[in-house]
Amino acid sequence: MALSDARLRTVLAWIVVVLTAGPVGGAVWLGIFHGESPCILCWAQRTSMVLIALTGLFVLRYGPRPRYLGMVVLLGAGGLYMALRHSALHLARDVGQGFAAIFFGAHTYIWSFFIHWVVLLVLGILLLLLREDTVQRGPRDPGRVGRFAMVLFLVVVVGNALQAFMTTGPPPFMGQGDPVRFSWNPRQWVWMKPARIFGPVSLRGAWDIPRPDPAIVDGETDPALGPLANLPSLRVTGWERVGPALNGRLTDLAHDPETGRFLAVTDRHGIYLLDATLTQVEHSVVLDPYFAVNLSPPVGAAFLGDTLAVGTRNKSYVLLRPDPAADEDLEWRHFLETSGGVRELRRSRFATVRARQMYVLSLAYDAAADELLMVSVPSPRHRRMVVSSFDRRDLILSSEFLPRLGSGLDFASPERSLGEYVVTGAVVVGRTLYAVSAAYSTLLAMDLDSRTVTAAYAIPGLENPVGLAVRDGELLVAQADGRIAVVARPGEGSSFALPDQEGPALD
Amino acid sequence: MEFLNFLIILGAAWLVFRRPEREGLAFGLLVASVVLTAVLFFLGTRGSLLPGVNL
Repeated sequence: MALSDARLRTVLAWIVVVLTAGPVGGAVWLGIFHGESPCILCWAQRTSMVLIALTGLFVLRYGPRPRYLGMVVLLGAGGLYMALRHSALHLARDVGQGFAAIFFGAHTYIWSFFIHWVVLLVLGILLLLLREDTVQRGPRDPGRVGRFAMVLFLVVVVGNALQAFMTTGPPPFMGQGDPVRFSWNPRQWVWMKPARIFGPVSLRGAWDIPRPDPAIVDGETDPALGPLANLPSLRVTGWERVGPALNGRLTDLAHDPETGRFLAVTDRHGIYLLDATLTQVEHSVVLDPYFAVNLSPPVGAAFLGDTLAVGTRNKSYVLLRPDPAADEDLEWRHFLETSGGVRELRRSRFATVRARQMYVLSLAYDAAADELLMVSVPSPRHRRMVVSSFDRRDLILSSEFLPRLGSGLDFASPERSLGEYVVTGAVVVGRTLYAVSAAYSTLLAMDLDSRTVTAAYAIPGLENPVGLAVRDGELLVAQADGRIAVVARPGEGSSFALPDQEGPALD
Repeated sequence: MEFLNFLIILGAAWLVFRRPEREGLAFGLLVASVVLTAVLFFLGTRGSLLPGVNL
């Protein structure tokens, strides 16, 4: 089947009629008679469809010249981009949510995507079928259907212009991000000028979040310059270190109270199960970071009984278990390297709400609540601290909170906040979440029931703290270089000194 | 500005319909409208030009 130039024009005229009377004319009808007002992005997409119809009129009048066909391709591609960009604001919302009216189960911005896609599809089909030897040059009569299409187009565009005048105003007023419903009453019209035409331009907007290095935190480390004023100091009572050579920088350490073993993770996806003396590797694996859940560098480790939990910077996780019967060939899909005897149980992603678009550098296990916990780290776009907990049974979000400051603690100045701390290690003891911040070398103690920071301590002498574990009455602060600072756990006969005291900290 | 854009489109369509010999001017108006549409969309999205989803 082939299309002659004359047949092409007839088909095109009907396409213009359908496009004009359907989405474009329907939008005007909805706007004027049902109060459906478009936002600035909706206007642009609607205008794009109008321009596609207009280009169709050009072809009706002047024939399928390359510049008109090129213009339709540009408008179709541009319309797809606009619809995708617009829809992205709403695609991740919950069921039934969105913006403005729904037609046949989809919002208008989704239909815009579909229509622009169909335009490109139809253009391709028409060009495929067009007989080039029948193409005429120069203006010609558009025919009866063509004239009808032109008149209809003019009428619909006049309707659009009227609606645009009433809802967006004459220049320099322009469409709004959050429009109000249509009104015939001029006193209810809302006309807005662009707030900042020459404001900053961003490619990714809220998604432009710098990835923190799990082993080196930039910024101030002096506790005295931190957001909390006059903190007592915890004295490092001893140093230990991870004995075996690791495949990268240490990023967290966990201790199993039942067996005394340690779990160490590195920024190169190395997972090490170490004995109680930190000198022998019992098992080790290197995770495959790409298949099929993306794993950014591991930043958290926790023992869930005999299960090993590993959390990553991008809030994904892996559950492992030592198993002498583990089949290395079956586990090949999970591990780049393995010492054997380890099985991967599960690999997936944590979903957060308050901590969305924030990275984490810690993972802890709350045995009493049977939940995994993470503490977000701030970014230039999100300067706050969010504690997220996940039910171990399904690893779905249980709660999220912004910790409050307890009595007896004060910020150094009103503009300071807990969001300045960069928590790189966390561990739960009883109902207390201990979190060590690489920024300002500070240990925070949070009561999980009242969701309050009840105490904070400076720990001078730390260098790139990346993890936190508990061993009996001691807290073990792991550093990226593999060294481990031992401090007495506050409340366990701890050794701390008030800031105005001189000399060594109290024992 | 959307109102202005529709006036430009009306002008282009009118030329195509009633003054077909002014093809160059009509096409110029079409291009102007396309550019204005792109600028308006840009102004509406300059805070995040790419879709706000996990790419």
